Parts: sequence; C-alpha cells; structure tokens
Amino acid sequence: MSTKPPARLTVDEKGYDRARSRSPSPSRRKKANKSKKREDGPLSMRDSSFRKQDTSSGERAPRQMSKDNDIFLLPSSDYQILGVLTVIGVCVRLFKIYQPSSVVFDEVHFGGFATKYIKGRFFMDVHPPLAKLLITLAGWLAGFDGGFDFKEIGKDYLGPSVPYVAMRMLPAVMGILVVPIIFLTLKAAGNSTATASLGAGLVIFENGLITQSRLILLDSPLVTFTALTALAWTSFLNIHEQGASKAFGPNWWLWLAMTGLGLGATVSVKWVGLFTIAWVGSLTVLQLWFLLGDTKNVTPRLWFKHFLARVFCLIVIPLGFYMLMFAIHFLCLVNPGDGDGFMSSEFQATLNSKGMHSVPADVAFGSRISIRHHNTQGGYLHSHNHMYPAGSKQQQITLYPHKDENNQWLLENETNPVTGIEGYDIITPPNLVFDDATIKLYHISTDRRLHSHDVRPPVTEEEWQNEVSAYGYKGFEGDANDLFRIEIVKHLSDGPEAKKRLRTIQTKFRLVHVMTGCALFSHKVKLPDWGFEQQEVTCAKGATLPNSVWYIENNEHPQLQEGAELVNYKNPGFFGKFWELQKVMWRTNAGLVESHAWDSRPPSWPVLRRGINFWGKDHRQIYLIGNPIIWWSSTAAIAVYLAFKAFAVLRWQRGYADYSLTNFRRFDFEVGITVLGWGLHYFPFYLMERQLFLHHYFPALYFAIIAFCQVFDFITTRTGALGLNRRPAIGWTIATVFLGLSIAAFTLYAPLAYGSPWTKAQCNRVKLFENWDWDCNLFYNSMSEYDNIVATPSEALTSTPVPVVADPHNFQESEGKAQQPNTTPLAEELKEAHQIPAAGMPEGQRVVAQEERIEYRDQDGNILNEEQVKALEGKVEFHTRYETRTRLLDEAGNEVPAESSGVAGPLVDGANPETPKMEPLESGLPPRVDAETESEVDAERRRAEPSPASDGLHET
Amino acid sequence: MSDSPPSVRQRASKKKGTAQAVLNSGSGSNSEDELLSKKQKVSAPVPGAFGHAQGPFRIWLFLLTAAGIITRFYKISHPNEVVFDEVHFGKFASYYLQRTYFFDVHPPFGKLLFALMGWFVGYDGHFLFDNIGDSYIDNKVPYVAFRAMPAMLGALTVPVVFLTMWESGYSLPASIVAAGLVLFDNAHIGQTRLILLDATLIFSMACSLLCYVRFYKLRHLPFSRKWWKWLLLTGVALSCVISTKYVGVFTFVTIGAAVGIDLWNLLDIKRGLTIQEFTKHFIARAFGLIGIPFFFYLFWFQVHFAILYRSGPGDDFMTPEFQETLSDNIMTLNSVDIHYHDTIVIRHKETKAYLHSHPDKYPLRYEDGRISSQGQQVTGYPFEDVNNDWIIIPGDPTPEDSDKTSIVKNGDLVKLLHVVTNTILLSHDVASPYYPTNQEFTTIDIEAANTDRHNDTLFEIRIEGGKVKQDFRSMSGQFKLIHNPSKVAMWTHSKPLPDWAFKQQEINGNKNILQTSNLWFVENIPSLAAEDPRNVRTPKEVKSMPFLKKYFELQRTMFHHNNALTSSHPYSSQPIQWPFLLRGVSFWTKNDTREQIYFLGNPIGWWLASAVLAVFVGIVAADQLTQRRGVDALDRRTRSKLYNSTGFFFLAWAAHYLPFFLMGRQLFLHHYLPAHLASSLVTGALVEFVFCVEPLETEKVGKDGKKKYTPRSGPQSLAAAWAAAVVVIAAVAGGWYFFIPLTYGSPGLDVSQVVARQWLGYDLHFAK
Repeated sequence: MSTKPPARLTVDEKGYDRARSRSPSPSRRKKANKSKKREDGPLSMRDSSFRKQDTSSGERAPRQMSKDNDIFLLPSSDYQILGVLTVIGVCVRLFKIYQPSSVVFDEVHFGGFATKYIKGRFFMDVHPPLAKLLITLAGWLAGFDGGFDFKEIGKDYLGPSVPYVAMRMLPAVMGILVVPIIFLTLKAAGNSTATASLGAGLVIFENGLITQSRLILLDSPLVTFTALTALAWTSFLNIHEQGASKAFGPNWWLWLAMTGLGLGATVSVKWVGLFTIAWVGSLTVLQLWFLLGDTKNVTPRLWFKHFLARVFCLIVIPLGFYMLMFAIHFLCLVNPGDGDGFMSSEFQATLNSKGMHSVPADVAFGSRISIRHHNTQGGYLHSHNHMYPAGSKQQQITLYPHKDENNQWLLENETNPVTGIEGYDIITPPNLVFDDATIKLYHISTDRRLHSHDVRPPVTEEEWQNEVSAYGYKGFEGDANDLFRIEIVKHLSDGPEAKKRLRTIQTKFRLVHVMTGCALFSHKVKLPDWGFEQQEVTCAKGATLPNSVWYIENNEHPQLQEGAELVNYKNPGFFGKFWELQKVMWRTNAGLVESHAWDSRPPSWPVLRRGINFWGKDHRQIYLIGNPIIWWSSTAAIAVYLAFKAFAVLRWQRGYADYSLTNFRRFDFEVGITVLGWGLHYFPFYLMERQLFLHHYFPALYFAIIAFCQVFDFITTRTGALGLNRRPAIGWTIATVFLGLSIAAFTLYAPLAYGSPWTKAQCNRVKLFENWDWDCNLFYNSMSEYDNIVATPSEALTSTPVPVVADPHNFQESEGKAQQPNTTPLAEELKEAHQIPAAGMPEGQRVVAQEERIEYRDQDGNILNEEQVKALEGKVEFHTRYETRTRLLDEAGNEVPAESSGVAGPLVDGANPETPKMEPLESGLPPRVDAETESEVDAERRRAEPSPASDGLHET
Repeated sequence: MSDSPPSVRQRASKKKGTAQAVLNSGSGSNSEDELLSKKQKVSAPVPGAFGHAQGPFRIWLFLLTAAGIITRFYKISHPNEVVFDEVHFGKFASYYLQRTYFFDVHPPFGKLLFALMGWFVGYDGHFLFDNIGDSYIDNKVPYVAFRAMPAMLGALTVPVVFLTMWESGYSLPASIVAAGLVLFDNAHIGQTRLILLDATLIFSMACSLLCYVRFYKLRHLPFSRKWWKWLLLTGVALSCVISTKYVGVFTFVTIGAAVGIDLWNLLDIKRGLTIQEFTKHFIARAFGLIGIPFFFYLFWFQVHFAILYRSGPGDDFMTPEFQETLSDNIMTLNSVDIHYHDTIVIRHKETKAYLHSHPDKYPLRYEDGRISSQGQQVTGYPFEDVNNDWIIIPGDPTPEDSDKTSIVKNGDLVKLLHVVTNTILLSHDVASPYYPTNQEFTTIDIEAANTDRHNDTLFEIRIEGGKVKQDFRSMSGQFKLIHNPSKVAMWTHSKPLPDWAFKQQEINGNKNILQTSNLWFVENIPSLAAEDPRNVRTPKEVKSMPFLKKYFELQRTMFHHNNALTSSHPYSSQPIQWPFLLRGVSFWTKNDTREQIYFLGNPIGWWLASAVLAVFVGIVAADQLTQRRGVDALDRRTRSKLYNSTGFFFLAWAAHYLPFFLMGRQLFLHHYLPAHLASSLVTGALVEFVFCVEPLETEKVGKDGKKKYTPRSGPQSLAAAWAAAVVVIAAVAGGWYFFIPLTYGSPGLDVSQVVARQWLGYDLHFAK
C-alpha cells in the first residue's frame, strides 16, 4: 500500500467517488482526477477502444486514433500471399477426395438427407437445413437422383454411381474458404502479414479440419460460416474504432449486415451458431452501453439510430435468413416420410396424401369415433382382444399409432336406449354431447367397454395410477366402472361451440373416471411384447394436464351425413409449422443422451484426449484427430491470456498503472475478444447432457488458433521488450519454423485424415497416447502389401472397430431404414401378427396359436400367387402392411368364420375407411389405397424389432 | 445496530489508528450507511436513522414469534395418518432408532434431528411408515413429537426473517412485511408442520443470512471476538443447510458471492490493506465459511455411520467391503471361499442376469450384414437353470493346481467350463451381435481350448477393490472377468437379443474396463456339498473400515442416485411455474370427511413477492440507465442500500431459484421455499424504498466544488410505510385464512367451497 501513495492519500470524497464509479457506473470514473491513471481498468478495456471519440476528459493522455485495418486496403503483396496460401489449401483439402469410395461416419445421415430432399420425403433432423440443402444442391447438380440410401458406414458408392465426389466438394470448398478468411480476419484485427500467413498455414494443416471438410458432414460449413461472421464482425469493430465519423458509412453498413448474414447462415447450419450469436451479441451490448455513457457526443437520437441499426442487422437479418431456410425446407419436403411421427396431426395433414377427409363436426351419442391422444404422437385409443397378463387380466387398452378398425368406439349414453346400441342411430335429432356429460365408450369390434378400476397398471405400477381395460361382452349392460365424464379443456379447445360441447378435432377434453376420479392418461411408455409395444394407457389421479387430454379425430353417425357441418385439421401455416418444428427439434436434441462409442466430454477437447473413428475398411482407416502441435499450442495461448488477465486485474485492483501502456491495453482488448469467442463456443457444452463429440470443439478451435496468432503477433511485432519488433525477419522466421513443425506433424497423421495406406510401425510410432484409440493392427506391416489388396474385398475385417454410429434411439432407428420407395403398383404383405378372438366369445372357443403369414395382394385386394409375385418383382414396389385377423375354433375344433362373430375381418382396403382414394401418382397407374398407413406401419414394425446399433447416429 | 453497545473496546486498545484510517479513507461503496452510523456511534448514541426504538421492536419480535408458533402448531395432530413424504422421513427416523443401515440421497443432518426427537420421547422405531394414509394412532407412533420439531423450526424462521431485516437496517414496517409474508404463508406452514426436511433447510438457510448480515456489520472491527463469533456462526449455519439437503449449495453460492465481492473490495488499494492483511482476511473467511462447514458436514456422516451399525435395507447400495462393516449382513454370512474345480453360478450385478450358455449357435449373418463366428451362444439369462453352471478351472494347469482345495485368488488366470455342453468360455476378436466395438463371447470344445485356442480362453479374475492374491469368495467378491489376451471385460446389458437367442441378454467384451456395469459376482456354488466344512457358518466378526473411505463411497453413491431421480410424478412441476404459483402438490386426502391437504403457497403473498422482484429489477435497470446518461435520481445512501442490502437479498433469491432450471431431476413446488423466503426479504426492503420518499441525506456542493453530504437528522416519517405494511399484511393474512382448510387439512369443504379455491385451476380434490 505504501507503494501507491497518491491513491491512498485521497480524501474521503475521492475514495467515495472512485468506489462508486467502479461498480455501478463506469462513466463516473472520470471524476476521480487523482486516480485517472486507473481509468482504463479491466472494465474499461473495451471501453477505451469503443470510446475513442470521447474527448470529454481533458486530462486524458491523447491517444492516437486506431490504425485502420480495412481489408480492402491491404497492399497487393498481401493479396498475393493470400492467393498462394489458398492454392496450397486447395491442394491439401482436395487431395484424393474421392477416397474412400464408400460411406463414412455421418455421411449416413447427411447423405441420406440429400436423398430425402430429392425425393421430397419429410424427415426430422435436429439440425437446421442450410448445409443439408447445399449438399443436396451439389448432389443434384451432379445428377444425383436420390437412388442411394447411405444406409450404413462402408457401403460402396461406386457400384450405384453416386456423385459423392460432388457432394463432398461442397464441404471441401467451404473448408478451403476458411484459409483466406482467417488471413483476412487477422489482418483486420491489425496483425502483421507474417502472423496472418501463420494463421492461414495453421488452418491449412490442421488434420481435424481437413478430415471434417473432406466428407459429407456439417461441421465444415459450420466452421466456415462462423469464420465468416468473425471476419465481418472484426472488420466492423475496426470501423467502429475509427470513431464517430465512420459510423453509418457504406463500409460500416456492409460489415454490420455481413455479420448479420453470417450469423443467420451459421445458425442455419447447426444450432451451435447460437454461441456465435452470443459472442456478437454480448459485444454489441457492450458497445451500446459505452455509447450510452458517452453523453457528450451521442445524443439520444443518435443512440437510437445505433441501436436500431444493430437490431435490424443482427436480429432481423439472421432471423429472416433462418426462416427463409426453413421455408425452402418445407418447399422441398412435401411428401410424407419417416419424420411424420414427430409432428402433430395438423402438421402431418399438410403433407401430400396425409390429409384426411373432413368429418362431421358435431358428436352425438351413437357416434362411431376414434379418440386421439393430444400430447404424445402415440396415436389412437385402441383395444384388441388380448388380455393383460397381470392385474385384472382383462382386455388391453393401448394407444396405437395407425388407423385401424380397433380404434373405433361407440359413444354411449349413461343409459343405453332400449333398442340396444344401434338404437342411437334412429334417434332424431341425435343427442349432442355437452361438457360434463357422463358417457360410456363401447369398443365396437370386441363388444367391450372402456373400464377402469382400482388395480395398478401392469407397467407403471405407481400408487397414483389405475389400470384401464375393456370389459364386458355382447349384450352386457355395463357397470358403474364403465362411466367416464367428459371435461372439456376450455383453453385448448377451439371456438365457443367447442368449449360447450364435444366437437370433432376442435374440442380437447379429459375423460374422468366417475367412480375413482382418475383421468384417462397416456405417456411415452411402451408396453412389453404382450402389448405389441404399443403405448401404455392408464387412469391417473391428478394427471398432469397435457398427458390426459384427448380429442376425437374420426366421427361417423348415420344421422350426421348429408349437409352436416364438417371440420378438418386447421392448416398451421408456415409460422405454425416453423415453430412446431423448432420445438420438436429442441426436444429431440435434448433427448440424445445415450452414450456413444466415440463420444467425449468437453474437458477432453482442448487437450485432444480422444478422437472419433470415422471409417475403417480395406486396412485403411479414417480417424478424426487434430494436429497435436496446433491444438495444444492454441490451448496454451488461451491459458496464457487467462493467466495474463487474472494477473492484470489483480494488479489493477492494487493500484498499478499497467493499463496506461497502449500495448498492454490493446493486448487485453484484442485477445480478450477472441478468447471470449472461444469461451462462448466452448463452455456452454458443459451444460449439455446430450452426447458430445470432438468435432463440437471446431468453432472454439478456430478462435483458439486466432488467439494463438494474436499472442504471437504481440510478441514478435508489437512489444519492444524483446526487440523483435524492430526485426520483422525474426518474426517471419519463427512463423516459418513453427509452421514447419506443424506440417511435419500433419504429415505424420495424414494417413488417418485421408484414409491412405499406412504401416503398423508408422502408426504405432505416432500413437502417443493410449486414448488415441485408432487401431494400428488394422494396417499392414509394409506398404507393398497394399498394392496386392486393391481388388480383394474386405471380409477379413470382421473385427475392425467399424465406426459405430450407434444409438438405438427411436428416431434414429427410423432414420436408417427409411428407404421404402413409394411409387406405385401395390402388392401387400399381409401378416397376421396376432389374432383377435371375438369379444364375448363363447366359452368353448379358443384362440388359435399366434402365427404369421405373408400374403401378396394387389391394389384391389386380390391375393397373388407366387408366380404372379415373381413376375411382378422388380417392376413394382412392395409395401408391408400388418393386419390382425382372428380365427376362432369352437369346442369341436372347427374354425368359426371370423365374420360371423362380428370381428373386424381382414381389411384389404378397409383399414381406414376415411382415407381418401389417392390420385395416381403417375398417370396410367392404378390408385393406391394404403398410402396412409404404409410408412407408419413401417415405423411401427421398426419399433417392434430390436434394431442393430449401427442404425444411425444422430449427432450435431 | 444501535441495540448493542458500541464495541470499540477491542479496537481502542490496539487498532485505533487503523480503524480511524478506515473511517477517513471511506471504505468502499458498500459501507456508506454503516460508516455514517459508525460516526454517530462514536459521537453520540443517536438512535438509528429511523429512530430504531427498542420497545416496539421487542414487542413485535415477541408477537411474530408467538404468531409463528400458533400458526405452525395449530391442529398439528391432524391428520393422524401418514402424509406424503412422511413415508420417507418417518421411515428413516425409524431406521435410525432401530439402527439398521439405510440409504438415502439426502445428507443425514435433518433426518438425525427427527431420530433425536424420537429418541427423546422414547420411541423404538417399530413403525415403518409404509403407505400414505396409514394410521398413527393404531400403530402407536409419537407423531406429534416428530412433527413438533419441524414446526418449531418453522415458527422460529419468522423471527429470524424479522431480525434479518432489522439487522440490515430496515424500518419496523418493512421488517414486519417481510416476516408477515413468511408467517402467513401457507406453503411454509404446510411444509413445516409435517415430518419433512424442508423446515430444517429453510431455518438454517435463514439463519445463514442473518449471521452473515451480523458478521458483515462488524467489518469495521475485523478479527474482533464478535467478528469471529458471527463468522463462525455463519459457517455453522451453512453447514446445517448443506447437511440437510444438497440444495444447500445455493446458500453457499449466495454467501460466497457476497464474500467474494467483499474480498474484492478489501483488495482495493484504497482500502489500505497490505497484502498480508488481505491474506489474513481471506484465510479467516475460507476457514470459517468453507473449513468449518465441511468439518461439520463430515461430522454428521460420522454420527450416521456410528448409529447405523446393523444391516438393513440400504446394504445393497454399498460395496461388499462396506457391507462387511455391518453386523448380521446376509451377504457376508453366505460368503464362502471358491476353490478350483467348483461349479459356480455367476450373476451380473446390475441386470441380475446369470452367465448362461446353450447349444444353439450364433447366426452366421446378423441383420445388419455383419457376420459372426457361428460359435455357441453365451447369453445372460435371468432365471435359475442348469445351463448357468460353470466349473472354474485353473488357466495354466500345474501339478499343485490339481489339488482340490486350492483357493482361487484375485488376479488368477482361470478357464470356465460350461457343465452341460462341456465347452470352455472364450472371447475373441469378433464383433458381438449388437456392438461392433465389443468382442463376442462364445464357447469351444475342450480339445481346442487346450491347444491352439488356449490363450483365448484365459480370463483374469479381478476383484473390485481387492488386494493382490486376495481369496476369491462368493457373494462378497464382486469381480470383473477380464479376457486375458485382449483385455476386455465381460459385460451385458438389458436389451434382449432377437429370437435366435430366445430374447436373452447379449454378453460381450467391453473395451471400457473401468465401467461399474462390468461387475459380476458368484451367487452360488452348486457343487458344494452340504456337509462341506466351508458350509459351516461361523459368525463373522464385523470388520471396520476407515471413516473417510466409507464417506467417499456413500457420497459417490448418493450423487449417482440423486442424478437418477428422473421418473415422473403427477404433482411435479417446472421451475418457471413456481413464482407464479401455478400448481401445488396434493399431500393427503380423506374421502369420508372431504378433507385434504394441498400444498400451496399463499397466492397473494407469492404474487406480491414475485411482482416486487420484477419491480426491483426495473428500478435497478432504470437507475443504471439514467446514471449512464448522467442523471442522478437517487441519493447516495438510498442507492447504497438498494444495491448492497436489497441486492444481497435479490442475489439470495436468484441463487436459490435459477439453478433449478439446469436440473434434470423431478422438481416440486417446495424447492422454491428458500427462494420465496429471500423474495419476502426483497419485498420488505422495497416497501421501505417505495414508501419512504424522503432522502436519507442532503447533498450540498461546497465551495471547492466538492459535494458534501449531511445525513438526515431526526426520524423519518414512516406513516406511508406503516400504511402500506398494514395493507399488505391484511391482504396476506386474508389469503392465508382463505386457504386454511387446504393447509391444515381441516375442515372438509363442500364442492362450492373447493371450487372457490381453485384460483388458477389448482387441481384440488373433491371439486366435483
């Protein structure tokens, strides 16, 4: 303390002034005249540069205006160097880009999405569409017709002649662009040409960036757009520092708008772009804050001009761009596909052939209705003639995602009309169903009624859950446990009428069990095999609202046919679809929590602890690993800065005047901005519980490389302490030597990036850590062996740790197998998955054992024999449809014809009476009838089967 | 502040000079008001800025305490049945009293208090609180004594809140408003009159705030006796919070942030502290606020282990070593040595599947096109079966190994012979059916195993946490079976294989050896004859284990299970709903009398407090903006109080609320109670800010252009604040009264009365 007498001796008011100026109001700092040297404290490091025009403090040491680092005004020698570096980048990135000629890692997904775009089949992915659209565009221009499914890693491209090189060119070109961008960014940040060249060189020879940009993956576009944003923003900061006179000039607007576009593009590739937005956003807020404090030069009007310009360029432009991408996305995907199941019924109704006929709006007693669960996409309230294995052992109630006769319920009054259930049909006018009505639901195909009682459900054996079953027999009057009360959920129901009485689709309601007070409930819990993996339905006391809400989708009543008011799903419009898709993407993304064989957590990234196995075949391997020299030195640069910052702040608090040194201040400011970018692209990952991979570090790595170059620049050209600034040649030499080292390291690991031949010895030599888990045993002992192998196929490699792209996630499962083509003539496989004994079946009958059978039928339902099927093979598409059919045996063992017992018989095209007959997709072909259920059935079947782990990883 | 005599005694003796310097230099932004009152203290015993009078203060303190006790103890014996989570915490108290080991995700302090209470009244812990609605009367449980403990703490929370406000220098009406919001809050009442941990948590949290405020007020007398006293008391209070529930970390964050800011100001050169002095400050706080709490925290665990010495329902959560420290533990009793050539049954610890094999082969080609070795299947099978029997034989048969009695040791290389098919277990470099990265397990015939495939059939027994060459025992010896040549661990998972393996579990070799899911144990030795000497059970002596080792094991398990609490509950809610009080929790219902306990805050109080939080943010934002444009709307002392004192309360609210957004586990409304308490403090403070309009000091510009400040002399008019306080308290008390039947579970309500209370569609029972 004695070292700083001037500050110490200030009297009370001074101390007060300084103290208060430091916390809430930096602007008041100027009042403390004695401590003015400390004005440029840590808080004001940005301040000092943002407020260049602040001349209010006369005692301030005059500071020279910031140097203008406009990248349009570089000497031509710089542009020449830039050109040379780019050419080197082209060579390094495009070297043998055709190799490997089979599917690598996540090409499974992103190639697959291109196929779906071209075919227009709706899919769900956790990433926004921009990069996928670009890849599709590249493929489409090269003549890709969507005839390849990218099903699994290692699948050959050459046979089906997929233009995969063109598709890989897109990420590759993007990757090349990073080279000039980082050069210009470093120049715009005021660094020397040597430094800028070093930065570009480091990017060229970074193995991780190379690997990632040579394959059909999203990370290369992501890094490029992030880099572009950083370039635009750095240029904007450069102009901003020139002072008020340059504000609102053409260059100012250009770079601000470019920043906005860059942000829009980045976030349209992956949501990681939100971190870039956070980086630009936080710096913008700081800028505005300092402008606000500049009461001398910035009038409120001017401040609002600054404010609105930034709102427009940094919010409106990115958001508009992002939404535009989704508009294109929706334009491309017009047909139903495997992503349907994620979306609401309203959304699905907008897809071709997924719409449904309008149905009568009014629901009356006696209506045949299908009831759909509101919150999950589990489907319709369903029952089939199978019993619960435990609990009451009564008939199962489930949610079933497809339209089916077994979803049909008859809405009954509390007291049946004398004439039996058909009696409702003749009451005119029909009795409409109002809120609070007590009803019974009669399952038409099994003659049982929806029933609940105080028995724990078989799967969710919670205290607050009751089992729901179907109970009764034909002619049974029903008992009190069949009674449910309709409670209309007013805030979800649409229209005043629908809030008062039951209307199809519009009314959302709860079904409260009268005797126990519980509400019909369903949640994303699958029943085991005995329930055919359909979704569980229970009756929950105090059920959470969204999961106990239902609505009626289908509605038929003999009295309500001609001229009845009809309703259909509301078209959600673009904004509705956009917003819904965002929500689904968010949920799905957060749900990707299962562990993956090659995942890693954020702490391991900066030290390059582990990579990702991308591909392995033919004794070659692609393994994502960074260039250790570049990786570690960039991390070290970050550490150096953080140590510097901690030291500087402590010294500032203790009254040292370091911040009066221009270089000290500039170092803190310039590198600080970059390190902030690094931190914002890195630390948020710690909060994510989903699976993470090394490649999530790339945007942060880009900032770390810039920080490294800036530190290098300060050491070699700016500070005079070492004397290096007077001899630029030394700087060049150090840069060259370092780059040389990096290139050497690059060469050592290059076979992993390119998937080139390698030998065991070479591999083991550079495998520094056990955690770098590529498999050296995969390679041959000598290079010469590769010459022999070229032609032989590769089964020898059963043990190869083929890059697993794992996660049997529902959603992912549906990814991999999504190639059910959808052109026309139709033959059906009809499988008897399970048999449904008739409801109320007489004692002596028994169910025939479960069996499966495949029948081929044409579009009219005629059964085809084997020759016919053979003849059709190759010419037509086959669609699978599961049917349940019941065969009953009576006491004597004779088969009872199913139809006679009133059971839903085989429904060739009757599975969904409401399905609109499809127009032929191509002229001259017969209409198909099952467009409706086909993909859903596939999805269902997939859920039912255990699917291999390599079905598809969905990662960011 | 003026209630205690100025404690200049210590300071005057040796530190007068320093203290004086502190006075002169101005002591940073936070200390203005304190500084001024200090001056007053030194000059003359002037009453506080508000004319803090002792009489009314004491009366109010007494009144609020009494009211707290009345509201918490009213009808405490009703209902005489198990309510909600009393199921858990009552059960734990019983376990403590019976001294049987149990496992829970919460630290032991709060539960120990209940056990202590039960011990006081001589209860033996015979009732296990199995179901909500079980009768206490029939089971003869002294439940009123149990409930009295949290009720007392809940009642005392009210005066603590009052004191916190008072000690922070707020006026009487402001303090009353804050205390009244807690006093008449149905959620605080409802949660604290049942056998639950939250009363302890909230009370300790409130005490931490109070102690810290007291400590902070003494900052001009550093290292004095009182300073140390309050520092240590803060530490103790903090340790109670964290030892009750882990959400107590948030209180640490609150106090820690305040201490951090304080230290940062102390580091300021203008404070005149040398680095040595600063270090002393730093170490004192680190010791008092980190060292002491941690010590106490460990102490409760030691008590926990000391009490629970008998085997109980928590055994299965712990490792075998731990279980051996409990008396009459079943696993320890049944554990016997395993000898070579014994037939053993091996079971997976996590999925409880047996290591199984049968003559069927792996299919040549899997669905994804990969091919297998077509060897005999090795699977996990959940039921007992002769196909689960394996004979353990030495890996490298040497003469002495043929001796029947040689015991299998940790680290031995062994082979496993499948008894029924007479084949030897093997793993090799072929991908398993589901995991291309994991090795396939299969068996081969004995000849091949003895010749060219010898190496592939060698497995190493690696006992978890075992010593070198330790005896391998059944039950207690949990081990990993490491394939010797390739170093993969035998592993299984719950996803069943397809039909070709009869939906049994896949067994494969996991390259990640460290995973705890690789653990297996020998459940049974079928070949062991009943008369074998090894079957003679001698009572084992209970082993001991170092405390820290036990502690770390328990701590790890607790965190692991805490993170796993993600299942859904019908009354769980989202953090965003809490400040708005959108949903409560149904604790208990009784159909006959139509009575119910529905855990819900006092909506009027909660909405007021939440609105005031928004107002606070608005005021601060407006002040920052106007200041930035050079306009000064507030006087110096008001601003200081707004930022430092009210800001601290706001910080406490934010720290006790916002982190919940990051939690994936099941959350309930009662998690908001500590934050609600903090928001009540903010409300009280803002009542004063808004209704005491006169500035606390006048500002004059002196001749030399410097500003001079004169504190207000004479008491400020508090009429407006009193009026506001009366209105607020009346409204809050009204709300409380209205919801009484739901909080105390009596009287029963008819339909219209229930419906009248469904303000935001609260899902009350008996509404129809």
